[in-house]
Amino acid sequence: MLEIKDLSKSYGDVLALDRFSLDLKKGEVLGLLGPNGAGKTTLISILAGTLGDFTGSVTFLGRNLFADRELKSRLGIVPQDMAFYEELSAMDNMLFWGGLYETSRAGLKRRAAELLDLVGLGARAREPVKAYSGGMKRRLNTAIGLLHKPDLLLLDEPTVGIDVQAKVSILDLIRDVGAAGTAVIFTTHQLAEVETTCSRIAIMDHGRILAQGSLDQLVRIVGERDIVEIMGEFAAAAFSEAVQDLTGERVELLSAGDGLASLAVRDTAEIPKIMDRLFRRRLAVTDMKIKSPSLETVFLKLTGRTLRD
Amino acid sequence: MKKLRRILHVAVNDLRIMVGDKAFFFWSLVFPMMFIILFGLLFKASDSAPAVAELTVVNLDEGRWGAYFLDKIKTPTIELKIVRSEPAEYSRLIVLPPDFSAGIEARRAQKLAFKKRRDASTKAAARVETRLYQAVARMLSELVLYGDGDLAKFLDGHAEFRDIVQVKTRFPEKTVTVVPSGFDHSIPGTTVQFIMMMVIIYGGITVLEDRKNGVLARMLFSPLSKAEVFQAKLLGRWLMGMVQALILIVVGKIFFKLNLGDFGLSLLVLGAFALAMAALSIFIGSLCTKEDMIIGLAVLLANLFAGLGGCWWPNEIVPLGVRRAAMISPAYWAMDALHKLRFFQGGFGDILPHLGILLALAAILGAVAARAFRVRE
Repeated sequence: MLEIKDLSKSYGDVLALDRFSLDLKKGEVLGLLGPNGAGKTTLISILAGTLGDFTGSVTFLGRNLFADRELKSRLGIVPQDMAFYEELSAMDNMLFWGGLYETSRAGLKRRAAELLDLVGLGARAREPVKAYSGGMKRRLNTAIGLLHKPDLLLLDEPTVGIDVQAKVSILDLIRDVGAAGTAVIFTTHQLAEVETTCSRIAIMDHGRILAQGSLDQLVRIVGERDIVEIMGEFAAAAFSEAVQDLTGERVELLSAGDGLASLAVRDTAEIPKIMDRLFRRRLAVTDMKIKSPSLETVFLKLTGRTLRD
Repeated sequence: MKKLRRILHVAVNDLRIMVGDKAFFFWSLVFPMMFIILFGLLFKASDSAPAVAELTVVNLDEGRWGAYFLDKIKTPTIELKIVRSEPAEYSRLIVLPPDFSAGIEARRAQKLAFKKRRDASTKAAARVETRLYQAVARMLSELVLYGDGDLAKFLDGHAEFRDIVQVKTRFPEKTVTVVPSGFDHSIPGTTVQFIMMMVIIYGGITVLEDRKNGVLARMLFSPLSKAEVFQAKLLGRWLMGMVQALILIVVGKIFFKLNLGDFGLSLLVLGAFALAMAALSIFIGSLCTKEDMIIGLAVLLANLFAGLGGCWWPNEIVPLGVRRAAMISPAYWAMDALHKLRFFQGGFGDILPHLGILLALAAILGAVAARAFRVRE
């Protein structure tokens, strides 16, 4: 359904997308994970047609996405920032945004009412949106993108800054949309969201996909190892130097920052050795955690950063 | 067709949001009404004729009949200014030719030209004209007495005396043919002013808000192109200007018996003017980053252009230099066209230059606004 090939985009000297390539099938829900500046929003903006001056190609439903404006009516986009008329009611907003597509008025009204019910706004559909809470606005923002039953739905961090109830509602909606056959690309910072919502996960950084697959496939990248997270009063360079002679087949330094470092170990018997190296260098350790490999670990291993970096 | 439908959809939505604003009622009706009444009453008062009408007489005649005729004109309500040559400025003027008395003595028909300045009081002119006819009648009766004392018999016997003195009133071409009431000026004036004010303020602010709220950028997610979004915004603001115009015209018709002359052509003028203002509002909305900036700029421009352009008082009463300077105001071209239609019985040909200038202005402002138009901060 969607084929992105060698998409590159620069802002001056900064390469936001670096020969980015991706395929997406009908009904597939792809979670695009990446830290700030990874290129997620740039990708969505290019696909949405609001950002130009790039190289590469995007084929959607067998046609060049950028050559045919009418193809946009098959595309649903939920922007990161909420964008609608605050002075209008949710229903009026739905009717306005839906009216930009080829939909009959009666059909549009039915669809708008259905969607507002689905995101829990049905009872307050006639109130001006400016009276809504942040979570309600976020749900409306998402529902608007679904009005015209798109074949491909792009969601740019749709759960930022909202309460748990609204988040659950939006994630349920994304799952339902995928199950109904719409392909979805969903960018987020939240590992738990992609773990529970997406059929495929792609980790991107510096404008490229570093790894992609199902959750299980990605976790296998780290291997059957335990993850040791060490907190203390140390500099990143000092920590790396202290454990240098241990790293190899049995111990892998995943990341080292000032005061926080992560390592993957084959056996917990390696932990005392690590501690010994730190104490010898007089590096103070304040806390230590042992975890099973997770998407977070994969992300850490691939990007060398946590998602909050 | 799809494009047109989408453009119309966005434009009508904009209109709906603007009209739905609580303050719209005040700004589009209550506040303009204050202007209409204030300026309407002001100019209704100035419309009445002066207590003493001025009449300049160029008396080139040396004989007795010229002096006699002037004596018959004299009345407390007419101030005679007798001169020997035609002055550069006058309100009303009559010329007695050098052979006036001799001509009468020789029983030749006399023609006296009565001239009137285009913008002088029409009522005063009528008063003077009536007095001239009275003077002619009195003189004729004297001529009868100069004959054998019986007017009918005298005229029957001397057909040439029937028209012995004719006063021919000459008005400049396309002169005022309708005595305008103050509201016939103040309603179009206020309409033009408030089209400027409302379209620039509301139109500019909503462009700014739509950009800040991400609404303009989101429209590009749909099949609408940036050019179509711009066209939709332009159409929405034009519709708003026309709604503003129609509200004031309808109120004017109902409460003030407004007469615009040719209604269709008047709407055409207001439509061309509203289009130029719609483009200006998008330009200002695209340049400004704060609402206060737009309001300040709109109030300044609207009042400057309104005052200069003849929205508050007829431009015909201001000095020639100011009238020339007024041409930089878009309001001038709208007001002058409306005056031509209303007070000078003008037709399409008379307002064609005005329409051309307003549409050219709309095209220039539209091009500049399209270039400045941006969908995101």
